[in-house]
Amino acid sequence: MNESSPEHALRMHPFTADLNDEQLSELARLARVAVYEPNEYLLREGDPATAFYLIVSGLVSIEVFVPGHGARPLQTVEGGSAVGWSWILAPSRWEFDARALERTTALVLDGERLRQLFVRDCCLGLRLVQRLLFIVAERLKAARLQLLDLYGPPRELP
Amino acid sequence: MARGSVVIESAHLRTLILTLQREGYQVIGPTVRDGSIVYAELSSDGDLPVGWTDEQEAGHYRLRRRDDQAVFGYAVGPHSWKRFLLPSPFVLWRARRTADGVLEETPPADAPRYAFLGVRSCDLHAIRVLDRIVLAGTAVDPIYAHRREQAFIVTVQCANFAPRTCFCVSMGTGPRATAGYDLALTELLEPGAHRFVVEIGSERGANLLAHVPHRPARAADLRAAEQAIARTATQMGRRLDTNGLKAALYANLEHPRWNDVAERCLTCGNCTMVCPTCFCFSVEDRTDLSGNVTERVRQFDVCFTTAFTYTAGTSHRHSARARYRQWVLHKLATWVDQFGTFGCVGCGRCITWCPVGIDITEEAAVLSSRRGAGAEDT
Amino acid sequence: MTAPGPVLRSLVDPFHPHPYRVVARRRETSDTVTLRLCPATDPYLPGSPGQFMMLTAFGIGEVPISLSRVPDRSGMLEHTIRAVGSVTRHLVALRPGDWVGVRGPFGTGWPLDLARGRDVLLVAGGLGFAPLRSALEAILERRQDYRRVTVLLGARTPSDVLYRQILPRWQRRNDVDLRVTVDRPDERWRGQVGVVPQLVSQVAPSFEPTETVAFICGPDVMMRFTVRELQRHGVSDDRIFLSLERNMQCGVGLCGHCQLGPFFLCKDGPVLPYSRLMPFYEVREL
Repeated sequence: MNESSPEHALRMHPFTADLNDEQLSELARLARVAVYEPNEYLLREGDPATAFYLIVSGLVSIEVFVPGHGARPLQTVEGGSAVGWSWILAPSRWEFDARALERTTALVLDGERLRQLFVRDCCLGLRLVQRLLFIVAERLKAARLQLLDLYGPPRELP
Repeated sequence: MARGSVVIESAHLRTLILTLQREGYQVIGPTVRDGSIVYAELSSDGDLPVGWTDEQEAGHYRLRRRDDQAVFGYAVGPHSWKRFLLPSPFVLWRARRTADGVLEETPPADAPRYAFLGVRSCDLHAIRVLDRIVLAGTAVDPIYAHRREQAFIVTVQCANFAPRTCFCVSMGTGPRATAGYDLALTELLEPGAHRFVVEIGSERGANLLAHVPHRPARAADLRAAEQAIARTATQMGRRLDTNGLKAALYANLEHPRWNDVAERCLTCGNCTMVCPTCFCFSVEDRTDLSGNVTERVRQFDVCFTTAFTYTAGTSHRHSARARYRQWVLHKLATWVDQFGTFGCVGCGRCITWCPVGIDITEEAAVLSSRRGAGAEDT
Repeated sequence: MTAPGPVLRSLVDPFHPHPYRVVARRRETSDTVTLRLCPATDPYLPGSPGQFMMLTAFGIGEVPISLSRVPDRSGMLEHTIRAVGSVTRHLVALRPGDWVGVRGPFGTGWPLDLARGRDVLLVAGGLGFAPLRSALEAILERRQDYRRVTVLLGARTPSDVLYRQILPRWQRRNDVDLRVTVDRPDERWRGQVGVVPQLVSQVAPSFEPTETVAFICGPDVMMRFTVRELQRHGVSDDRIFLSLERNMQCGVGLCGHCQLGPFFLCKDGPVLPYSRLMPFYEVREL
């Protein structure tokens, strides 16, 4: 198994590291390793959501394009986490852009085949969807905290 | 520790006051002012509240004429001794800005020599509580220390009145003072005989008595004094159960009763102002019109305001509930962790002077009952 | 600079400020400056990382400000101050040569002794970096005494990050893992976007939870969520230290304003382990 093989990357990634060999090779069959240069898009708002991205290394910005202002980064995602969950609710399109800020390596898993796998192996499906839900919850929590503008200027009492 | 007892006739209370004045003390004692008995400088025994008593209940205080000539026939009024030991407002320092710097012109320390006349047992305990805070902590407050060191204390044992809002018996702080005074008087009112049993608590007290006509106390005098004090104990109008109180309050920080008190509490802070142990102060810098002379003034602060916890643009205790909780929790729980004693001595002033009659003994009983954590009785 | 003004005071009196002069002023953000202060008379005041001073703006008042750099051998120290109220607005406006009254040092410092020989994690939000900067400098001075050193910084925008002049110097070191995240990036920002508690998960694989000491300072909400992240990764409550902010007026536990449950945060704090704070810290409005 070579260093840059999907199976090796899956074995090293926290999202999938504890799966058994059979499950890993099953996942590896529907995954490829992709490298994104700075400013290259992993996925773009409006495109069909067909893949799941496990970020191996680098830094990815989740952003939205605001006319007149350009790309507005909302949150960044580092290696060890994941990007994109719209594929699970197929058919659907990406809601935001994801752009590499640094040279980024990602495991790209085919959404359609992943869904089929989850139907065949519900136990694996539930486990991975739970993990994805954890990431979704973390990102929602972070977004809520960002909304609070914690470090903003204190408001004086009236 | 008593070092013997003597008896003085009531007429010689005047001599006692005069002697203290001759010794250089400013004598502070009870006097009638604006419809209540307050503590103020006495020029002579004529200023004492002879023949007056007070009628107290939650949110209620009235002076009444007695049908005798009792000098100390009342409970405590709105004042306590902290107003002399922790003067407020007090200028901590004064400074002037000059061309080459800032020059401090602190006024010379002129701590007065006080003699406190009529210190009740609860208030004696309150002073001891303040001692722990202000003298025994990481920093000593020199303003308090000077006054406290010099103060001559004449205690009056509680007798000859109905202690309606008092609860010193349950707090273990009265009605009998057993230590911490120079002299302790017990007033004996018998037909045709008006005298004081005087317990001597210090060398200084004994020396002073040398100038006041007295005779040795007889067993009958001492018995009469004990009976008068014991009668006060049995008439105590309130009690506060301190058994397990701290732990119960800590466990009940979200008790529904806090909301209930908050509905009634006006957050006026009267309770903190009449409380003999409330010590919190704020500091404020005041400048003259030129802007070149400034003074830092310290004065009593009140934890019932939102300003009390104001930090970087916000107040930590916005709700009335939180502010009342802070006060009661401090008095009856956190104080114990901080200073090894309750912050309450059972004087009952906060009950009497609360404009809506909130009774700390009643609230503490409910708040320490086992229905905290928001649980309702079913 | 004019000659220092003479000041008469009693050393035993805790209420009298010592005269200091502003010797340098550096703007950090739109509302925050760092003042370098020099004692105008002997002796100068000591201080350790995490402690605070009470700073007097002449004629305006006094505020507690943590030491962002502890006194050096000549007593020179630094405070980072944000213009929030009337006193801080005046302090922020001071210029080199101006007089400042200083009392202190007050309170508990960061437990560097406990951190020795362990992984150290410093987590700062906004102005919370100020008291942690002095800890970071103390750690870097004796870097070999500590294991992994990780610094996580959160700020509102890239231009709200404190100490931007020296930050790159720390970032270049390979014996410190310093990560910055902002809530709202600008066009030039190429770093992380998000809140600081998130960074804990990123660095968690690199430290040993049972051998980690964490120092946290920032807004209450940020500290609460950071504590939870640390707990989730197995850092124990008695190794998580928070620096709390409250109204402080005397600095010596006499004025009563800074109470949180049984603590006087001016003398029992401002730095306390979460294990001791826990029963009180999360009680609302306590």
